[in-house]
Amino acid sequence: MRALDLAYVIALGAGLGLGTAHFAVAGRPLIGMVRIGPWDAWPRGGGRDVDPYMRAYLARGVHVPLGAGEGLELIASRDDGGQALDGRCRYLVSGVTPTTRGWSLSVSDMDGRPFRLPLDRNGFTDAEVVREESGILHITAAAEPQTGNWLPLPGSGRFQLRLRLYDTPISSQASELRPDVLPGIARLGC
Amino acid sequence: MTTLDQATERETAPVLPSQAGTTPRRRWPMRIIGAARRLAYGTIAGLVLAGIVHIVTVLLIPLLSNSDATSAYLSLGTSGHAELVSPRSTESGLPVPREADPAAVTAICSYDLSAGPMRVVARIGTLPLGLTLHRRGGGVLYAITDRAAIRGVVEFLVMTEEQRDERAARDEEGEAVRELRIVSDTMQGLIVARVLAKQPSDREDAEALATGVACGLAE
Repeated sequence: MRALDLAYVIALGAGLGLGTAHFAVAGRPLIGMVRIGPWDAWPRGGGRDVDPYMRAYLARGVHVPLGAGEGLELIASRDDGGQALDGRCRYLVSGVTPTTRGWSLSVSDMDGRPFRLPLDRNGFTDAEVVREESGILHITAAAEPQTGNWLPLPGSGRFQLRLRLYDTPISSQASELRPDVLPGIARLGC
Repeated sequence: MTTLDQATERETAPVLPSQAGTTPRRRWPMRIIGAARRLAYGTIAGLVLAGIVHIVTVLLIPLLSNSDATSAYLSLGTSGHAELVSPRSTESGLPVPREADPAAVTAICSYDLSAGPMRVVARIGTLPLGLTLHRRGGGVLYAITDRAAIRGVVEFLVMTEEQRDERAARDEEGEAVRELRIVSDTMQGLIVARVLAKQPSDREDAEALATGVACGLAE
């Protein structure tokens, strides 16, 4: 009976411990995440004081993240209303961007890989985008062609928008950012 | 004591009427309570062990991982300058960096400090250039951009703690140190040069800028 008890303790400990560790670092960890409107950022992921979960996540794949002094990566998997981004819908990405040397906005799958679409456009940079007179940004993301700045989406399935701000003074204070300093993502229709 | 004595003792032992009647009925609840208690203790011990296993696993992954960027790009940069790993240059057989920006060009130079400190020299251009130092097992040790350039050049040295102490001991007293020294807590790691190609036509310039980063032994 003693052996059975010990086997139960070891099986529970090893199974639960390894299982939870795997799930905790299989994707980007929730610890250290900062949510700014629809955007998620991991500002400590690019510094020396990276938390153990983020470090384990980075070590499990070929990751070369942006350094804290180099830039900030923001990931959106949901729109302003909190609904998951879906390739069958149309979205309007609009608003202002923080002060940067340059930024890029791209569409990727849930693992951060760009889609292979017939049209060779995965995103926009600050130099490519056409702005309004007021300087406000308007990008329409949809599978069907749109007027203005059109960001092609895959016809179906979930996707992410990734905004990378290069050489920006805000990367050190990302946790204090308000949503209105970043572009919003509004669903126009499906 | 003889067998006879034992037999008589058993017979004379007082038998409580209540005990005699309830023994078979009580044995089962007692057993169930005992088993439940053992299960509860076992579960608590299992959960404590699970917590320990969880923490140890998460802390060990960076130390034991062979699939991180440093292991993947260990062969890059031996020629003395950074080499491209952009998503488009997959013919080299190197893995594509995960979650990379399609608009940026990345060139990598690996370092191994066992032979001595490394010197990194980058000339700047018009496109935004960022240099980062990634240690083995994930994590950015240092980041610098071309805004920190002095006379168009960003230059720094990567070394271990001991190598820095050695170098500091050799410094002339009273004289300002003219070099930027960055301590790496691992012997191996990567120097990553990233240039944002703002327009598709900038890609060639960006590649030239990123691969122009020189990295070699400091002495």
